[in-house]
Amino acid sequence: MNAKNRFMVVDDELIVRESLAAWLEKENAVVDRAESGEQALDFMQQNLYDILFVDIKMPGMGGMALLEKVKKSFPTTVVVIITAYGTVEHAVQAMKLGADDFLVKPFDPEGLGLLVTKLLEHKRLLEETHYLRSEITKCWGGTDEIVGRSRPMLELFDTIMEIAPSESSVLILGETGTGKELIARAIHAHSKRMGGPFVPINCGAIPESLMESEVFGHERGSFTGADRPKKGLIEVAKGGTLFLDEVGEITPKMQVDLLRVLQDKAFYRVGGVDPIQADFRLISATHRDLTQEIAAGTFRQDFFYRINVITLRVPALRERKEDIPILASYFLKKIAVETNRPVDSIQEEAMRILVEHDWPGNIRELQNVVERAVVTAKKTVIGPDAFAYLNPQAHGPSIDSDSRSLRHVEMNHIRRILEEEEWNISRAAKILEVDRSTLHNKIRKYGLKRAGDTPL
Amino acid sequence: MGRAEEDVLTVVGDSLQGLLRLPVDLLDPIPIPQHTFMEERNQYNAMGIIKFMDQEYPANPVKILGVTRADLCNPILTYVFGEAYMGGKSAVMSYARLHLGEANKFVSREQFLDRVVKVAIHEIGHTFNLPHCHQGRCVMRPSNTIPDLDSKLNYLCPYCELFLFEALSALLRGR
Repeated sequence: MNAKNRFMVVDDELIVRESLAAWLEKENAVVDRAESGEQALDFMQQNLYDILFVDIKMPGMGGMALLEKVKKSFPTTVVVIITAYGTVEHAVQAMKLGADDFLVKPFDPEGLGLLVTKLLEHKRLLEETHYLRSEITKCWGGTDEIVGRSRPMLELFDTIMEIAPSESSVLILGETGTGKELIARAIHAHSKRMGGPFVPINCGAIPESLMESEVFGHERGSFTGADRPKKGLIEVAKGGTLFLDEVGEITPKMQVDLLRVLQDKAFYRVGGVDPIQADFRLISATHRDLTQEIAAGTFRQDFFYRINVITLRVPALRERKEDIPILASYFLKKIAVETNRPVDSIQEEAMRILVEHDWPGNIRELQNVVERAVVTAKKTVIGPDAFAYLNPQAHGPSIDSDSRSLRHVEMNHIRRILEEEEWNISRAAKILEVDRSTLHNKIRKYGLKRAGDTPL
Repeated sequence: MGRAEEDVLTVVGDSLQGLLRLPVDLLDPIPIPQHTFMEERNQYNAMGIIKFMDQEYPANPVKILGVTRADLCNPILTYVFGEAYMGGKSAVMSYARLHLGEANKFVSREQFLDRVVKVAIHEIGHTFNLPHCHQGRCVMRPSNTIPDLDSKLNYLCPYCELFLFEALSALLRGR
């Protein structure tokens, strides 16, 4: 059921093309034949090839020129140079240019068989390395990347270790910014699939029209603009983990398609007719309440049961306040290094403001707040002033316990602008695009005052 | 093709008849076409022989297998035990290299004939579109050397057998 290997034989001699292609076809591969370098490049626009067998001497574009072009545009395609007996020095030159191996005509049948097996394995490793290089920095951490010593987090670490080795689908629930992707990466890093790729898909960020071809891949010509075949993310995730972030955003049609993949363990590229084996572990995450979505009919119950074999809940930051100092110090060090700022600690009083804050945006918000403080810091220690805008109690009565309310946002915004403008009402009103009397009314309404002043 | 020994032809005919459950005719010998001889290699070009047979026997037999004692090669390989195109009509096999065993000693006639049967079935299998099989010791496993040939069995694995009969019935339906 695996997709067949695809080879191309590029040789101006028909007899060589035919013999080599006939031999390769017996290995159940699809083999294309090109009689010139130019024709080979045309074919490469249409199909992905595993191995190219290229004659070094051809009229027009020779084997060397083709080799150079292929290695530039399709670095993971393996190229074998074919030379005639007595021109081995050309082969050496070709190897210097990046050819993966060479064959001297006529070849020993045993050698050809071993060469093809070796090169296919080499190509698989090339693709894997290519992918891992891009992923390795993100994936290496495992649970080390997740900071926290609170009871809910320690319980979460235990659960991750427990469930990681199984193959069951995992659904991670948690508010936005709680680090759901880090948890998914940690599960992957401790699973049997650790050696395979971790492929995250942000379902909310990919336009609906592109989602299908992103996930399943497509064949050439399956729609306007599909000028070459493309592997889908499910195919890329072979042997690894597929992470569907914001799974609640998936359209009902896509839910049906994914459900089919999970049931049949096989899928088709868009416009493709050959089934491709799916081999991945699924981890999904959402901040939504999917049971409500099911009741509302926007999320399929059968799909939900497939993705929700194991459920993990990542606690919100306000539920693990004891982790805030550790997290804040962690971000401080990280950001200070990244931005090359000589900031090394947060004053105790400032830390208290952070601990008392409600963190509707969770860890992501905390990271942003610390980053802002580091970037604007004028001393090596961050004082409470840097976080004053977070804590309404320091400047006025708490008006609304829900810091995400519109009133709260408006109040904070007005206070920030006033402070930036050193309480110059005219300038602040101009920035806020209201007239001065309106601004005075708002200041009275929210009980805002200048630090050290009596209320207006 | 050329002078082939009788017991070789008989064992090839019998084994193919047993495998395909179709009558197998042993034709009168014909010379190997001279244009397929590659002087610089002192071998015959197997692909050339196949093309010749395709032209020579266009109509009746379902498949045709040329058997020769002459050593075969093809334009890219230094030698072949046999040759066939996938789904082609004709195949050819040589027993020039099948006599010798370890330390270049002649093997028994039984072992030699067992090798002959393996090559014959393997090449005829390709003409029924069977690709190389990597399941166990199926006769469709690629065998480029004598030890490879000896280590596989002289019959098809259940999968290849199924595919062979599907191809065969499709072919017979179409006739």
